[in-house]
Amino acid sequence: MSIGLALIFGVMRVVNFAQGDFMMLGMYLTYYYAVVLGIDPLVGALVTIPPFFVVGLVLHRVFLARVTGGGDPNREMDAQLILTLGMSLIITNATTMILSPMPRAIRTAYATQAFAVGPLLLNQARTYAFFMALCLAAAVYVFLTRTDLGKALRAAADDPEAASYQGINVRAMHGVAFGVGIALVAAAGGLLATYYPIEPNVAVNFIVLMFVAVVLGGLGSIPGAFVGGLAIGLVQSLTLLVLPLQLQNVGVFVAFLLVLYVRPQGLFGRRARTV
Amino acid sequence: MSAAQRVLTREKISAGIGSWLSSFTLGVTEVAERQQVPWLTLSYADNITERGFKYTFQTSPVSSAQAEQALDLVVELAKRNNQPIRKAALIGDNTAATVFFFKPLREKLLQAKGIELVVDEVWTPPLPDATSIVQKLRATQPDVVFYGATNFPDSIQVLQKVKEFGVKTHIQGVGAWLVTPEYVKTVGKELLDNIQAVVAAHPLKGQEELVKKFVQRTGEPFMTQDPLCSYAHVWLIKEAAEQAKSADPKAIRDALAKIDLTTGPAASTLSPGRIRFDERGRRIGAVPLIVQWQNGEPFTVVPVNLATRPVVWHK
Repeated sequence: MSIGLALIFGVMRVVNFAQGDFMMLGMYLTYYYAVVLGIDPLVGALVTIPPFFVVGLVLHRVFLARVTGGGDPNREMDAQLILTLGMSLIITNATTMILSPMPRAIRTAYATQAFAVGPLLLNQARTYAFFMALCLAAAVYVFLTRTDLGKALRAAADDPEAASYQGINVRAMHGVAFGVGIALVAAAGGLLATYYPIEPNVAVNFIVLMFVAVVLGGLGSIPGAFVGGLAIGLVQSLTLLVLPLQLQNVGVFVAFLLVLYVRPQGLFGRRARTV
Repeated sequence: MSAAQRVLTREKISAGIGSWLSSFTLGVTEVAERQQVPWLTLSYADNITERGFKYTFQTSPVSSAQAEQALDLVVELAKRNNQPIRKAALIGDNTAATVFFFKPLREKLLQAKGIELVVDEVWTPPLPDATSIVQKLRATQPDVVFYGATNFPDSIQVLQKVKEFGVKTHIQGVGAWLVTPEYVKTVGKELLDNIQAVVAAHPLKGQEELVKKFVQRTGEPFMTQDPLCSYAHVWLIKEAAEQAKSADPKAIRDALAKIDLTTGPAASTLSPGRIRFDERGRRIGAVPLIVQWQNGEPFTVVPVNLATRPVVWHK
């Protein structure tokens, strides 16, 4: 979930408040793949990637490019906050109107079965989702570091002006980043749908933690977002050993504040140069 | 609250019904009181009718009363099935109805019956992960779990974990949120079988025709508390308006405060068949029912004289 958000921020400097809503749409698409076409949700989650990549490209071309300036570093960026917030509201409410607020869920055998590892029980759906998320994260890493397109994306993120002097179309790179970011979170939603009910407001349960993971890892850092996400899950679970259930997320936010106190740039973030 | 504000200030409303979640009802009834519009609610939380409001009428038994009555019924059922309750668990969110249900159980009722409270877990929705809760159930093996997860995803997570961990404890839900058709679609009827819920209303013996009409008209697989209460509330407003001979909100409020119905659709829907309110707006004599999932459908099992199926006790 967080890697897509980090990618969009890292390349475009856009804080995408609608990221959780694309996750929700990914859950619905996976649901319809399962119910209508009989596709297993673990496969369906991957099949959400191409359509959401296209959706991301189109949304960037039609809306975001107008307010982010397509790479112009001198362009005012405030409007993108309002735009993504507006997109979030429209997506949530349109989904409620069209698909009803009624919760849905994909019934899979592995949602209620566990792998027994000694005394430990590992939920099968979560285990599959975890390993598929690992694979997706690895694929993103390979894409960014081993392909020309990935390298161009990183160049556009590091210095849009210098990248454009090298013949990189920064506006197009922003579109690709947004498309990949949206596709990744939609796939994450599909994986989540294997064990979590789907409803139009489901994003609010995850969006804050998504942002915490990205900021914890270092804004715009892909490995940071990955480690940040893992750290949050770990802290959430370990918090229960010492605090009551009601304070489960308190542990996450305390850890978050402590990390930012020691490393304001996040775990993997780079400190900005100051004069 | 803003929706209630909008409706009650822009439209000429004689009386209103709702909400579903007690936490919402607390807000909506505040608006109705300010606008002096009588408001009928099926919500359970005690504090809905503890604020001295004149325009709020609560037809359901309040949570604390439900806790006491439900505990008696469950203990009695268990005894009758030779499986006395010695250990209990409370798990649920901190929404108003659940809080008021758990409070007397935790503070006095369980202890008074000699039942040990082995798990007491309350969370603020959404629940991040149900694993730790269900692990505690697995470790302590309570005889009954009082279960109040009003947020659907939270509730599903807990039920899925219960199945995953093989926990066989008897589950006693707190409220009608646990007996909606969405549960069958989501977790399947096998997982729901024998799970019980204490509710304010559910189809009773003799209401088969009403249920049949409801199913035909709505396409829903069965009727539950929420449409039943709405049905009763509409009839109640009609009776009050006729007794007041007016559609004026204040006249309807006064008629509701004095009403004493023992016949008609409203009275026959809300057990035990009589509708009158005390000075706080609570229905006098309101008693909860126990509903049990059996083969993918929830049936009234207690009280026995109005039950549509005999209870099946968890083995």
